[in-house]
Amino acid sequence: MVTLGTKRAARRPRGPRDTRGYRVFQVVNGIILTAVVIVTLYPFVNIVARSLSDEANIIAGKVNLLPQGFNLTAYKLVTSDPMFWTNYRNTVVYTVVATAISIVLTTCYAYVLSKPQLKGRGALVGIAVFTMFFSGGLIPNYVLITSLGMKNSIWAVVIPNAINVFNLLVMKAFFESLPTELEEAAAVDGLNTYGILLRIVLPLSKAIIATMVLFYAVSFWNSWFTAFLYLDRQELFPVTVYLRNLIAGATGAQSAGGVADADAVQAAATLQAVTIVLTTLPILTVYPFIQRYFVSGVMLGAVKG
Amino acid sequence: MLHRSWRRVALATAGLLAVSLVGCSEEPTESTDLTENRAGAMAEYGVGDQFTATEPLSFSVLYNNHPNYPLKNDWLFWSELTKRTNVTLEPVAVPLSDYEQKRSLLIGAGDAPLIIPKTYHPAENAFVSSGAILPVSDYLDLMPHLKDKIEKWHFHPELDSLRQSDGKFYLLPGMEEKPTQDYSLVMRTDILDELGLAVPKTWDEVYAALKAMKAKYPDTYPFSDRWGKPTPGGALLNFLGASFGTNAGWNYQHTTWVPAEKKFVYTGASEQYRQMLAYLNKLVAEGLMDPESFTQTDDAARQKLANGKSFVISGNAQTLVNEYRPDLARTNPAAKLVKIPLPVGPAGEINPAPRTSSGGIMISTKARESKNFVAMMQFIDWLWYSDAGQEFSRWGVEGTTFARDGSGKRGLTGDVDVVGLNPKGSKHLQKDFGFYNGVFAYGGNLELVQSFFSPEEMEFQQVMNARTPIAVPPPYPLTDEEREQVALWETPLKDHVTQNTLTFILGQRPLTEWDAYVTELKSKNLDAYMQLVDKAYDRFQKENG
Repeated sequence: MVTLGTKRAARRPRGPRDTRGYRVFQVVNGIILTAVVIVTLYPFVNIVARSLSDEANIIAGKVNLLPQGFNLTAYKLVTSDPMFWTNYRNTVVYTVVATAISIVLTTCYAYVLSKPQLKGRGALVGIAVFTMFFSGGLIPNYVLITSLGMKNSIWAVVIPNAINVFNLLVMKAFFESLPTELEEAAAVDGLNTYGILLRIVLPLSKAIIATMVLFYAVSFWNSWFTAFLYLDRQELFPVTVYLRNLIAGATGAQSAGGVADADAVQAAATLQAVTIVLTTLPILTVYPFIQRYFVSGVMLGAVKG
Repeated sequence: MLHRSWRRVALATAGLLAVSLVGCSEEPTESTDLTENRAGAMAEYGVGDQFTATEPLSFSVLYNNHPNYPLKNDWLFWSELTKRTNVTLEPVAVPLSDYEQKRSLLIGAGDAPLIIPKTYHPAENAFVSSGAILPVSDYLDLMPHLKDKIEKWHFHPELDSLRQSDGKFYLLPGMEEKPTQDYSLVMRTDILDELGLAVPKTWDEVYAALKAMKAKYPDTYPFSDRWGKPTPGGALLNFLGASFGTNAGWNYQHTTWVPAEKKFVYTGASEQYRQMLAYLNKLVAEGLMDPESFTQTDDAARQKLANGKSFVISGNAQTLVNEYRPDLARTNPAAKLVKIPLPVGPAGEINPAPRTSSGGIMISTKARESKNFVAMMQFIDWLWYSDAGQEFSRWGVEGTTFARDGSGKRGLTGDVDVVGLNPKGSKHLQKDFGFYNGVFAYGGNLELVQSFFSPEEMEFQQVMNARTPIAVPPPYPLTDEEREQVALWETPLKDHVTQNTLTFILGQRPLTEWDAYVTELKSKNLDAYMQLVDKAYDRFQKENG
């Protein structure tokens, strides 16, 4: 973003805004944002460096930005655990299915809510917003999911949080900002409601949909709690639960209690780093591709709405 | 009825997971008639008998899934267990990271497995009032091995400490014949040798040794400690407190039993606690102890030890072998580290470890209605409490995973390894066979508990075993209302104690202000708290004493 801004500034012909004060602001702004980038990036680079270093150098506190004593044993170790890959596959499946369901449901709901002529619109918005502030609580939710027979199945993970109210409202605002004339014209040309949604509105909403995909995909990829609650078998867990357990096993020497495994009570620091890297990598690679929609999309909906 | 259950739901939302829907349903059957529940049980089952169900049975069990030996369905443990007992266990796998939370949820939702192991007292208190867990003390007659060990090992004081206000207990304890103290100070003995000092036996000698180290290496803090999170000084305060006759750190209890006066005192306001703080304050003030000891991360403390910036740290058998020694071997191969026998303090030569440190088992109330209830209790008795069951869950199958030498001492067979006993082994007793598993293997007689110890650790344990086990404080079980009241008082009291523990140690508040500090505690209902404890203690003595 920083480079993008400066490039544009350089190309633009000198105008009244290129005062000295503005240039100073640009420089200061660039420095501050660069600092923010460094602060945000450092922990991640450090984790990557740890994952590629050998244990001795990590313990000695020598690993900062560059790997010390380069080795890949930890990567081999983690990738050789079949449960890691099973859980990894689960995460991919859950994320894809859950995102698809969420997008369909959120789009439908938001589109309906964006129509001012809809009767009972206020109540429908109210129902959604109500869940932002109040929830049934842990145990009732658990009882609900269990009695619906969704426990220990993919549905327990992908259904309960399918509609995120915040995303819903953003999307509703976006749809409201679309010119009604377009839809009227489409109706005149003989499209029914579904045709308008599918052929006119959705093609114009790629930006917001891409943004929503990103929002949902990231949150489902990172989520572990629903899976932990409703799944009882480790071959169903997403990789986040695997990772969490690995880290907790490494830090919770005391809670391990009783018989603790002496040869590896502490999952080695490298091992943790490797798992963290492998877990965050895919979602990280998706980011840059959706990010351009992300920037324009959210602002578009929010400002005009 | 509906209204009531929804009120409960609201309560549960507020975080009271323990309040359960089960509590709304019928009360557990009080009847002692077990004729309907004997399917699959052995008619004659006594001490020394192998339990084998008369028909194939299966029981669900909550399984604490340890990341270092993740659950596998093809473990020899499962198949051999079924072969011996005709029982199949159905594990509900819960990641170790969030075991307690899931346990509360499952019990609260009435969906808990029948057998709930790895529960540490007093965690079961939260579930008692809901009626979701079984008062196991009513059914000890079904468990001959457990009863036998209670008598043989004089376990009554420990059992009493589990009792609730109804006089029953709801947790089958993990029982060790002798206490096993694991944590102590780890010291660089090469530095001691260099200074011509013997291994310190008392805390005063520890002080002298640290002083000598500081004199020789003025740029160091000789003692830089770890385990500062989440409880500052968790391990150190725990064993140091025990040496001073109080309890602190991980094991902080609000009350301390004073056997001589036969009464409880408030721990954080007691003279022993003050002495302990004064001792640590002296170490910090004279630069012998790193002030960061109570807040730094474990890794930071390890790095200081590894880089020769400190010479003393808290540790246990495993951290010594797996962390400190390998760390130092890389930076300073000449260094020697030893876990010294717990230094002796004003409380005398005591062994502070409890005999129930390995947690216990809860049973779901719904198991009582099962026709296989008796068989299940017999099964639990065999697996967790019989010598044969305990040996099986720890060592596995003779001839496959372990063998005995001429003197009867067990050893792992050729290619099996665990805790580094057989580094050449290609298979792992825990990972590949499912034995020595924290869910099933705990407690046991001295010989069994120590059978996995290294010779070095045995030496440490022999010193500790020769000391007097610490007296188990008498119980003062609280009623539900009292417990709620006490919970309101305990949090501010504990916060104030923890906070001031640190400021006193670090010298931010002089110990001359001790009386002012006690007054502050009194303004936080200290006296009312102790009156309630005394009342509960008297009541229990009257009813059960």
